[in-house]
Amino acid sequence: MPDLEERLDAIYENILDYEAKQVAELVKSEVEAGTDLQIILDDALIAAMDEVGDLFSEGVLFVPEMLMAANAMKAGMEILRPLLTDSDIPSAGKVVIGTVHRDIHDIGKNLVGMMLEGGGFEVIDLGVNVAPDEFVEAAAKHSPDIIGMSALLTTTMPNMPKTIDALHKANFEGKIIIGGAPVTLEFAETIGSDAYAPDASAAVVLARGMLTNG
Amino acid sequence: MVSDMRRSRRERKIGDKANKSPQTQPVKGSSFSLPPTLGAPGFAFLDNTRIDQLRERTFSLLEEHGVFIDHEEAVKTLKKAGARISNDGKRIHFPRFLVEQVIEDTPKSVTLCGKTEEWDHALPDPEGRFIMRTGTGAHGFIDGETGNYRKLKMTDVATIAAVGNHLDQIGFISHPFVNGVPERTSDIHGFAELVTLTPKHVWIQPYETENVEYLMRICALAAGGESALRKRPIASCIATSFTPLELKQMDVEAIIQASSYGLAIHACSLPTAGGTAPITMPGTVVLAAAEILSMLIVTQIVGSGTAVIATPLIFALDMRTGRSLQSSIEVMQGVSMSLQLMKQGFGLLTHTYGSGSDTPDVDSQSNAERSLLGQLVALSGADILGGVGQLECATVFSPVQAIIDNEIGQMLQSFLRTPDMDDESFAWDLLKEIPQGGNFLANQHTLKHCRATLDPQVFLRQARDTYEAENRRNVQEHARDIFRSILKKDPLANLPDEATIREIKKVVKAGDAKILD
Ligand code: B1M
Repeated sequence: MPDLEERLDAIYENILDYEAKQVAELVKSEVEAGTDLQIILDDALIAAMDEVGDLFSEGVLFVPEMLMAANAMKAGMEILRPLLTDSDIPSAGKVVIGTVHRDIHDIGKNLVGMMLEGGGFEVIDLGVNVAPDEFVEAAAKHSPDIIGMSALLTTTMPNMPKTIDALHKANFEGKIIIGGAPVTLEFAETIGSDAYAPDASAAVVLARGMLTNG
Repeated sequence: MVSDMRRSRRERKIGDKANKSPQTQPVKGSSFSLPPTLGAPGFAFLDNTRIDQLRERTFSLLEEHGVFIDHEEAVKTLKKAGARISNDGKRIHFPRFLVEQVIEDTPKSVTLCGKTEEWDHALPDPEGRFIMRTGTGAHGFIDGETGNYRKLKMTDVATIAAVGNHLDQIGFISHPFVNGVPERTSDIHGFAELVTLTPKHVWIQPYETENVEYLMRICALAAGGESALRKRPIASCIATSFTPLELKQMDVEAIIQASSYGLAIHACSLPTAGGTAPITMPGTVVLAAAEILSMLIVTQIVGSGTAVIATPLIFALDMRTGRSLQSSIEVMQGVSMSLQLMKQGFGLLTHTYGSGSDTPDVDSQSNAERSLLGQLVALSGADILGGVGQLECATVFSPVQAIIDNEIGQMLQSFLRTPDMDDESFAWDLLKEIPQGGNFLANQHTLKHCRATLDPQVFLRQARDTYEAENRRNVQEHARDIFRSILKKDPLANLPDEATIREIKKVVKAGDAKILD
């Protein structure tokens, strides 16, 4: 049997080769071998996705390549997640995401969601045209660490502060990230969100930072 | 004083000639004529076999996979007309006979009316020309004077109207997104302002289902009443599908209401290759075609006889950054294919971006992208070239860029005028007599035709010395001069009177009261 380092490398390489099935199988046998979950998570899955993130930022990897790697990572995470909840290892975090009320643009939101999944986050996608109440309900149901909102229309941007108000009224204590083509940092600041991400990779970096820095 | 007099005489003389130049009085009357809707001569990117393949795939996508339609009434009517409805009641399969029948019944020509006949545009243009339209939906504005970026506000609508009014290639004008008014009724506010500032045809782009009614009412007021609007529709309306293969409620509603007023519909599909559509262009083109034809069918079935302009606006996702693109080279291929499919394959009128760029500013990239795009689109025979002044993938408008675009449009129109092949154009007599070492500088033939060449007002042809002496003024600065002179011009005639404007304002108020509640 190859040593641990080689086995973790194999998971890492399979993520970079977009081999979801392989990743799931390798993670499973690693769990069965009794390897520390934290090590599988940090040294194989997260390490691979950090590399993928860097390669994407450097322009080496293209969007679908990054998303396929994220899929492979997700396959591994699906094996680990139930075990992590039972352990005291902190998970990467849970994000509820959606396009705001009256807005049906979803490509950007989907990209952000997939990238967050690739970053190890559990993502609950509420879809498009999500009313403030629905965000509040999802917050109560899933207790996410972060709520992410996307808006592509200037007409629907006001639904972001409305949702934030509703979430605050419902005592949501997590963080709120917003984004979308007409959204700006200035707007994000004025409506009391916690962060604005101009693109999907920035969203992952911000989300990570939020959970590490509290 | 003497020199002043001399200058004014010179200016007058040059002015007289310039008035006869092709800029302001485009040379008409080429003997070239085309069968209706086949458009201008030029570029055939695809051969007939490939067009047939695209057409067949479009028919089979419509028949086998169908389109999801979120409008109960429309679905019922479609069923009666022969469409097959899937078990969930919303996916509509269109049998080929129905599609073909509807294509046949769709009017193949339309007049986009201005407030007076002088501003009317018959499509297809009898001489194979196109018209241009200003960019729509921009929320950002590059200030014409300072060149700085800022949010687009209500006073910018007047600037867009002024620029659109005075540029000869602009056939009609669309409303941008206006900041500083209630967001949910911004389209109503922007449209109400625009329609009172231009005698040209205008384009309606609704943002919400309930706004459609108010936009139509404003339109009717500006036209002089509902029956006047039906007689001379001074506006046309966009309806966009929800790619992939879905028609949402608002757009079916826009089709129903607009066609009830006799307004032409720009049936628009905005696929994003690699996002909502296949990354390979033939797949994207077929998807867009299926969506456009489904809107055509809905239009003909709910508002029989309404003119439909096929409007494929093809986008692509940049594979490196995930940004939306309107002017990548693959998009240009997709647009060329779509236009050919729509014109040659289905015989429809066409409209797409013939201008616009993915760069945020009026820079070299912007002018290169829009020139490339404009050429392909014009040569593919589009009837309408949209996106004038548009930057940053349809989110920003620049009036200075619009002025440059107008000149690119003039160049394209000149190019499209296929020369006559006769003794005069061969200068046959001269050619046969030209001696060794001879020239054509000062003869009657050159004199006769010298003003038929395009004399650019924005593009420069100066020598280096002049360029340096003028502190390296470039195309943008020339365009800015024209921009300033346009703003000084008097408003055009035949705009709605004070009483009508008051009525329009009442409708805006009523819209706010109802919608913002
Ligand atoms: C949670 O944290 C985060 C963090 C980062 C986040 C984030 C969340 N969300 C996004 N990000 C960021 O990361 C992403 C990836 O890096 C980025 O996401 P983006 O979403 O910006 O980018 C995507 C990856 C690609 N971009 C896109 O997909 C949008 C492209 C454009 C062309 C566009 C499209 C494709 C569509 N449209 Co629409 N559309 C336009 C768009 C023009 C443009 N240049 O944006 C825009 C946004 N649309 C507009 C309009 C007017 C409309 N559209 C409409 C409809 C549609 C389609 C359905 C046809 C289609 C969407 C299909 C779909 N499934 O999403 C209508 C509205 C429907 C509705 N109620 O929502 C309609 C009203 C048109 C009509 N009359 O039907 C304009 C908005 C004007 C304005 N200022 O408000 C518009 C600018 C085009 C225009 N010039 O007219 C970042 O912004």
